Amino acid sequence: MAEKLLEIRNLKQHFNVGKANEVKAVDGISFDIYKGETLGLVGESGCGKSTTGRSIIRLYDATDGEVLYEGENVHGKKSKKDLKKFNRKMQMIFQDPYASLNQRMKVMDIIAEGIDIHGLAKNSKEREKMVFDLLDTVGLNKEHANRYPHEFSGGQRQRLGIARALAVDPDFIIADEPISALDVSIQAQVVNLLKELQEEKGLTYLFIAHDLSMVKYISDRIAVMYFGKMVELAPADDLYNNPMHPYTQSLLSAIPLPDPNYERNRVRKSYDPASHNYAEGEDVRMREITPGHFVDCSEREFEALKAGSLKV
Amino acid sequence: MEKILQVKDLELSFNTFGGEVKAIRGVNFDLYKGETLAIVGESGSGKSVTTKSIMRLLPESSAEFKNGEILFGGRDLTKLSDKEMQKIRGKDISMIFQDPMTSLNPTMPIGRQITEPLLKHQKISKSEARKVAIDLLRLVGMPKPELRMKQYPHQFSGGQRQRIVIAISLACNPQVLIADEPTTALDVTIQAQILELMKDLQKKIDTSIIFITHDLGVVANVADRVAVMYGGKIVEIGTVDEIFYNPQHPYTWGLLSSMPSLDTEDAKLYAIPGTPPDLLDPPKGDAFALRSEYAMKIDMEMDPPFFKISDTHMAATWLLHPDAPQVEPPLSVIERMKKFPGSRYYEGSAN
Repeated sequence: MAEKLLEIRNLKQHFNVGKANEVKAVDGISFDIYKGETLGLVGESGCGKSTTGRSIIRLYDATDGEVLYEGENVHGKKSKKDLKKFNRKMQMIFQDPYASLNQRMKVMDIIAEGIDIHGLAKNSKEREKMVFDLLDTVGLNKEHANRYPHEFSGGQRQRLGIARALAVDPDFIIADEPISALDVSIQAQVVNLLKELQEEKGLTYLFIAHDLSMVKYISDRIAVMYFGKMVELAPADDLYNNPMHPYTQSLLSAIPLPDPNYERNRVRKSYDPASHNYAEGEDVRMREITPGHFVDCSEREFEALKAGSLKV
Repeated sequence: MEKILQVKDLELSFNTFGGEVKAIRGVNFDLYKGETLAIVGESGSGKSVTTKSIMRLLPESSAEFKNGEILFGGRDLTKLSDKEMQKIRGKDISMIFQDPMTSLNPTMPIGRQITEPLLKHQKISKSEARKVAIDLLRLVGMPKPELRMKQYPHQFSGGQRQRIVIAISLACNPQVLIADEPTTALDVTIQAQILELMKDLQKKIDTSIIFITHDLGVVANVADRVAVMYGGKIVEIGTVDEIFYNPQHPYTWGLLSSMPSLDTEDAKLYAIPGTPPDLLDPPKGDAFALRSEYAMKIDMEMDPPFFKISDTHMAATWLLHPDAPQVEPPLSVIERMKKFPGSRYYEGSAN
């Protein structure tokens, strides 16, 4: 999976620029997403993980930085035609399956909206067939096409959201907390569906979530964000077995696991950003400690981490 | 152990335009002094309705007690008048809600919200109540409590708001504290803090807690005993170790195996098929039968009674009947059972 699908270079997303209440939601992050992988993006609420997803797909205009999709910048001036091309390749699944479907439209039209915009169906018969196929793909059936969203349960609605995203045959899907609003028993259904689709269609996912055990399960690599910055990026197993940044360690130590014996012996770590004792103007950036394992650190910490990881 | 609260054969329905929704269909449990009982189950299983009926917070116009009683301090809470109930609510039994933003009054400084139950239930002066409130804020770990008394809910973060809600609920040293998904709206790091705080406070004031959640990780962290609800009934109840390491009901199996643990490998996640039952027209027999691969003929005909596994552990499934065939639980459940002395998969003590 060496081929890069997306390169995010120093992406910044600031709100209320120039005002007293300026918010640096995303403050200069860089990472790559490879073809066919699932990159998990975790962090507490307000750390900028959703904003990152939304900036990548251009729901916001980035303040600074670049998002390169197969080498082409997504941001910057674009003709309508070029934009359409990107929109077909990138799709998004939203968190709230209740708010993200138009209640006044039938399922048929919700799913076919993308097909219509991109002119993918030659006639109404073909359009209908495409929608039926999509419903089938996500585990619903064609009788559902003539219903309205309120007739579906939360899990089924999330399936509709997935069908809508798949309608234009994208390569890359941003899933913004797609399971947070669902019940535990339904979460597994949706996660399994996403995994199956990935294998079938070779999709690439950016999976944004705060439920770390689910993220570990679905992701190949995981990035951890803290206050608009990325603090650690590593292969999923590596991140869990050997978290290096103190924030990642504190985050991992806070997840409750369904195992009473483990819970009785849990030791919780807390994170204090001041503990780094960075000197004024010290060069703090993402550095590669072991192959593929990046940590936001200073030169001094880098040496210490490298020495530490060599012992392991 | 002393029983603080007893729920017996509770049945409750909502009268809606669509007909009668049988939200609770015969729930039995006891709450002991100083323990934490967790109630788990998916949305619509009746866990919130059960606790709201204890607090009598359901709309009288549509919710109707059909049967059963809730015994607290020798009285049946289902029979009390509104006035009598008001004397219990917030004093002997209090509640923490899921969303700390909507459960606080946005137009009232938090100091007044904390002193409210004190002034209502205890004969103390305003200045004394203020002192108690400041102590409470300090107890729940709020820095500079004197200053913050004057502030409004929007000036606090989500975690701080939940601390305030906890302070209010503890104001009168309740005997029973009902926590309805108190950490669901919070981040993991904040969640861990609030859970620790609740456990700490429980030790200090020796209150009993009913903890509602659908997060099994949280259950493993806080609970002494666990009740699993499905389709308006308790299907399995036992100590936290019994439920996590020796579960017997297929629904509990499904719940436990649908959550990936941190060492779940790439194998497909177990998903409970189908959707929860429609309680407008509850299915005949075992409500879970339609979603269970272990369902037998009798499950479609008759509701299973409770079978006793140990003094503290019961489950309602026909699989425990002496005539039922032995079935293999899902793999991840067998892994759990290996750690439990007394289960049939026990492999000697690992530690």
